[in-house]
Amino acid sequence: MVQTQTPSRSFVLIAPILLLGLAIFPWLGLPVYFISLLFTVFLYVTLASSWNLIGGFAGYLSFGHVAFFGIGAYVTALMMKGLKLSPLWTILSSIPAGGMAALIAFIVGYPCLRLRGPYFAVITFCFAFVVELGVKNLDILGGPEGLWLKSMDLPIHVIRAILFEVMLVIMVFAISLSIWTSRSKFGAGLRAIKEDEEVAQTMAINAPKLKIQAFALSAFFPGMAGGMYAYYLTYIHPDIVFDVMISILIVLMALFGGGGTWLGPIIGAVVLTLVNEGLSTFVKAEFARIIYGCLFIGVIIFMPNGIMEFLKKGGAKQAS
Amino acid sequence: MNAVLVLQSLISGIMMGSVYALLGVGFSLTWGVMKVIHISHAAFGLMGSFLAYTLLKWWGLDPILSLVISVPLLFVAACLVYRFLITPITQAKEVIVSSMILTFGIAIILENLMLLIWSPDPRLLTTAYTSKVLILGPLYFQYPRLAGFLMSAVGVLVIHFFLKKTLTGKAVRAAWQQSDAAQLYGVNLKRISMVTFGLAVASAGAGGVGMAFLYSFDPHTHNLWLIYLFLVVIVGGVGNVIGTALAGLIIGVITGLSLAFLPYQWVNLLTFGLLMIILLIRPHGLFRGEV
Repeated sequence: MVQTQTPSRSFVLIAPILLLGLAIFPWLGLPVYFISLLFTVFLYVTLASSWNLIGGFAGYLSFGHVAFFGIGAYVTALMMKGLKLSPLWTILSSIPAGGMAALIAFIVGYPCLRLRGPYFAVITFCFAFVVELGVKNLDILGGPEGLWLKSMDLPIHVIRAILFEVMLVIMVFAISLSIWTSRSKFGAGLRAIKEDEEVAQTMAINAPKLKIQAFALSAFFPGMAGGMYAYYLTYIHPDIVFDVMISILIVLMALFGGGGTWLGPIIGAVVLTLVNEGLSTFVKAEFARIIYGCLFIGVIIFMPNGIMEFLKKGGAKQAS
Repeated sequence: MNAVLVLQSLISGIMMGSVYALLGVGFSLTWGVMKVIHISHAAFGLMGSFLAYTLLKWWGLDPILSLVISVPLLFVAACLVYRFLITPITQAKEVIVSSMILTFGIAIILENLMLLIWSPDPRLLTTAYTSKVLILGPLYFQYPRLAGFLMSAVGVLVIHFFLKKTLTGKAVRAAWQQSDAAQLYGVNLKRISMVTFGLAVASAGAGGVGMAFLYSFDPHTHNLWLIYLFLVVIVGGVGNVIGTALAGLIIGVITGLSLAFLPYQWVNLLTFGLLMIILLIRPHGLFRGEV
């Protein structure tokens, strides 16, 4: 079923107010913890919304999106080290970081996107491993020890606030792209590919071109987000920025909220990041992960179309 | 290049490869027969390694004998998992993809259970014959590897003959080739799928013991094994037992040779790169064939 979504009028009213509220949030004098928490939420919303372009709309489940995140982190780190730019200035470097991620996605996507279903999932999964191992073996990238970055010469609160604002902007762009996709011909083409690629091609949809565009776009924002994350941590390590778990979390978030809609990944990312935060605060890490594992199973068994669809259906059942 | 060294790494490659084959056969079957990509296959295999480790430590039970306990245990566990977790999704349109995510959840649960029970320390199976070596002319064979090799060869052959000769095995093949027609002829698809899944996981347990003979392991190791599983199954052709076995040997030989001539950290990179290339050139495997 191909459907276009139009943001309702209430959304048009609420969104700017919400954004304004978020923009002034770090300057309200709340503890740094809350700024960091929201930063993480923005990060995952960006990742899940971007993944959704290729995974949700086009139905090509990339299980290796963390590769683009990590590439962005390393590009930013190298620019900080190599060009010796002042840290504040290099915030702009997250743009080339995103560009690099998109370029690599373009090159890798060209052969990989010919594979479908599980084969695409497997090859992207391996791609992330290959990139991680490659980085670990290159001394110029710090090898298995990782890289230390120079932090900005500012109080921690201000640094976090700056990163918060930049991440907010990146997120707004990622969401805007997602909304635009859901309403445009581009998105309709991707949905047609998801439904049936052969049929789509007979309808004069240039599937290979659309897929590669979607893949490159879906890598761009994770690359930028990875760059910001590098600043945020000031220390990057292949095990952290290429963690398989991030790839899987992105997929879970998008599917939890409902892939193929612009709102789904946002809801999924917000809910699951908060759940994760709550869990890791109150229970042992292993138990938290076990609960996470149960979530995967629950989502797939009980709400394969995402929580929004699930709630809607539940409502419909009660009404009838 | 030294001829003896090449021969030696060839032999150890074949020994490693046979273990990969045993680990991969079940994965290949669940993928081929049920269209379920069982991501937690390697994690179940790792459970087999840890059970063998514990039984060895408690009672001094030989790892191969410990299979008498761990294989039935894993079989029952897998049947339960199939009945209660996999069955609900087999009706879905995209079984393959949803099964990947669901079984990823299972893998995470198993990994963390293992972390809780056995802690993240790397383990080694140290038996009485661990350091013993059989010397034949210029070549030497380590006993644990030999044991793993023999066990794996027997395991793969048992699975092969089970599928070819027994009624249940034939039903599994029928279900894979023509599930609707098989049902018309009285094959109980649900039961057959459950048994296949159970056997696949049980064979993974044996494969896990084989892997434990070769390498040290910790609760995270199954992620690495998973890549090998994909490699073996994709090279061998999904659902193809003999193909999977051959692929296991080929990959074992490649790893054996590259271990001898490359720095260790490049070996995995080579393996994964190989997988990507094979996926791109021959996504349906090098060997065409049936179960």
